[in-house]
This record gives sequence, structure tokens and C-alpha cells, in this order.
Amino acid sequence: MELLDARRAPLLARPFFEGGDPGAIAATIAHVPEVLDATMPFLAQMFGPSALPARTKELVILRTSALLDCRYCIQSHSIAARDAGLARDEVLALRGDGPLSNQFTDGAERALLDWVDAVAGSTGPVSPEIGDALMSHFAEPDVIELTLLAGTTMMLNRFCTALGLPTSPAALARLAEDCLL
Amino acid sequence: MSAIAKAVADRVLPGRVWLYANYHCNLTCTYCLTESAPKVAKRELGAQRMLEVAAQARALGFTSLGVTGGEPFLLSYLTETISKMAEMLPIVVLTNGTLFTHARLEEARGLAGAPVAIQISLDSADPVANDTMRGPDNFRRVVAAIDALVARGVRVRIATTAEHIDEHELERLCELHRGLGVADEDHVVRPIVRRGRAIDSGLGVDTDLIDLPPELTVTADGAYWSPFGPTVHGGRLDTDLLVSRTTSPLDKPARILLRLVQGRAPGDDAKLDIR
Ligand code: SF4
Repeated sequence: MELLDARRAPLLARPFFEGGDPGAIAATIAHVPEVLDATMPFLAQMFGPSALPARTKELVILRTSALLDCRYCIQSHSIAARDAGLARDEVLALRGDGPLSNQFTDGAERALLDWVDAVAGSTGPVSPEIGDALMSHFAEPDVIELTLLAGTTMMLNRFCTALGLPTSPAALARLAEDCLL
Repeated sequence: MSAIAKAVADRVLPGRVWLYANYHCNLTCTYCLTESAPKVAKRELGAQRMLEVAAQARALGFTSLGVTGGEPFLLSYLTETISKMAEMLPIVVLTNGTLFTHARLEEARGLAGAPVAIQISLDSADPVANDTMRGPDNFRRVVAAIDALVARGVRVRIATTAEHIDEHELERLCELHRGLGVADEDHVVRPIVRRGRAIDSGLGVDTDLIDLPPELTVTADGAYWSPFGPTVHGGRLDTDLLVSRTTSPLDKPARILLRLVQGRAPGDDAKLDIR
């Protein structure tokens, strides 16, 4: 799969290349510029700053990516999670290296991770107990955004995995530094 | 009036919509933008799609059509298709002029009197110079085709693509086309654009967005900013001037093109006259 560079970026895609390498996802979707044009603002909103704390969002993204076994997203969001303040051991636990219960003791985070495991780790409805536990810690708009975040992450997990998108050398170097490869 | 019709009426968008009928060609010119040759991927638009684009272009308020390639006359259905397209909008068809057999010429009689111009490439009044760029025996065949088409009442334009052309050379060319019955307003001289095979041949002028008029161009692979956009280099389709992969309904790429044009900085208008 060709990752387009700034030289080959279609007209609608050019703004996304102005700040340098936009990453493998944008460089791939750029082949269909009208889709990139519609997708990137949505992804920026979902994965960028919002009403939810960055740490909370990274819990959802990294855990979802681990459940869907997406190498690209696990690697990229291990870095994003560390930047959002997660400890290395927390990152490892979210990735499935060690039990979550040892690392996450806060009630809200435990309820959230149970919810993510139900949403991304299985099919069919989420049990009322898990839903109620989440609702006891988060406001309704937060639950909606968190659920959409898990769903958006799943979409990208499958996209990146199916197309075998490469992790950037800079990200791999950073992961190596942190012994997270 | 639609936003596109208004933009065309206000000259914000050019009125012509281009269609890449195909990418294959019987020739292999040194400066070919599309690396066309007999065996390349055809990337054919198809007669049905060409008619749809023509109908949608007219409905949107565009005022004329252009058909290019590759060599469009390699397609058996071309004459019939452009004849139908011309019932919707005036049309210019670009050709290398080397495929006008007797049967083709007779078929072309049906284009006489219709709003159709056949634009034939002829790069020099000197057969050797012309054939160096365009292939053996090109000059003789092209001149014969122009003569035969004009004799059948078909409007012929001549396009000269040249890196440099001095006054003397231009005068010789003009004498030639006038002698063939092609008027001065039907002779266009264009620079070589450094895309496609011209890059490898070290020919042409570099271009970017601001150099090219935003003429909506439809291909089998998507819609482009200009007919100079959907070029091929190293066997790979260029994407830098791609507007959208979606081409139907035509309204979609047309609106994106308009948005891109309106997003340009003031004064960033086409610099090269290479229509
Ligand atoms: S420039 Fe035209 S005639 Fe020459 S190879 Fe390309 S498509 Fe064919």
C-alpha cells in the first residue's frame, strides 16, 4: 500500500501534509481525498482534545487496540498514552501484559475498562451491570463520546491491520527507548 | 442557477469539462504526459460513461467538452459517441491524427456541420523535426488526415506542442496549416509540460496548481484539476492534481473543484496559457 507523500498528495489532502508527515493513516486515506477531507476533522475531534481527559481517552484507545490486536495502533497509542501521563506498567497492562486489576484501582477507570472490554472484546449487547457501573461514574455525554471513541478506534484498528500500515521509524525508536517494543 | 453554472457564467470556473477516453496510444511521443503506448493499461472511460458525463456537464451549466487520451480514435465507438455528445455540448477531440483510415474518414463525414472540432497534433513544419518527437512517418500521415478531414467538411484544429518555437518556424507552420484549409484561430501552440515521459526526456516546463486553468477533467480513475493532471510517470498515475475519486454525479467533483478554486489566494490565477 503506497503511503502518499507531500509531493503526491492530492489537492484536498495538501493541508494535511503542511505540517510534515501526517502519519500512515492520513497518507493512505489521501488516495481518496474526498474521504480524507471528511474523515480527518472527525478523527481529530475523536482523538484530539475534548471534554474528556486525555488519560481517559487513551485508556479506551489503547485497550481497544489491544483487544483487536492492532499492532499499528498499539504502538502509536503506547506513546500517546505515555504522553497522557500513563505509567509504563499501566501501558503494559492495557496491552494485556499483566492483570489490569493490579494497575487500575480507581472505581471510574475500572468501570470504564470493563465497559471497553465488553464493547470491543465481544459482540452483542453490553450487560446492564457493566452499563450501570459506567453510568454511575460518567455523565451521559461522556458515555456517548467514550463509546464512539471505542467504535472509531475499532474501525481504525481493522483499517490499519488489514492494510498492514507501518509504524513510523520515529515511533519505533521512542518505543525502544521506553522498552515498549 | 446552480452554484456551478454561476461560477462558469462568472468565469470563476472554465466552461469546458475534459474526459480522458483512454490511456493507450499507437504512438510513444517523447514528451507524452501519460506515458501512452500501445501496451499500457487502457484506463478506458467507456462510451456510456462519456455520454453520462456530457449530460451531467450540460445539466450543471458547463458549456463545452473536450475528449483526450491516449489516442481516443483507437476506440471503435469514438465517432458515434462524440457525435452524440455534440448534441449536448460543443466538443473538441484531441487526436494524433494517424488513425484516419478511409473507413474512419467516411465515418467522420457525420461530424461535418456539428459543433465538433478534431484537434490534431502537428509539432513542426519540418517532417524530420516533427517525426523525431512523434514517430516515423507521422508528418505525412497527419497532413494527409488533416487534408482529408477538411475536404469532408470537418472542422480541424492543429495543436503544436513545442519546447521553443522561433518566428521563422512558426511562420512555416502557419503557411502549412493555412494551405491545408485550417484558419489561424484553429492553430494553438502549447508549451511542453514537464510531466509524464517529458520528465525522463528532460523536456518541458514545471507546473503546479497555479499554472493550470481549473478545467474539470474526468478519467476512469477520478476527477482532476486539469487535463494536465491525470498524468503517468514511471507507470504510476500522478495524484497531485487529483480532485476526487468520485466522478458521478459530476456535481460532486465540480463542487470540490469550485471550493479549491475559491480557496486559492487572490491573484493565484493560471499563469500558463496551455488550454
Ligand atoms: S502525446 Fe498523444 S500521440 Fe503521443 S504518445 Fe501521448 S497520447 Fe499518443
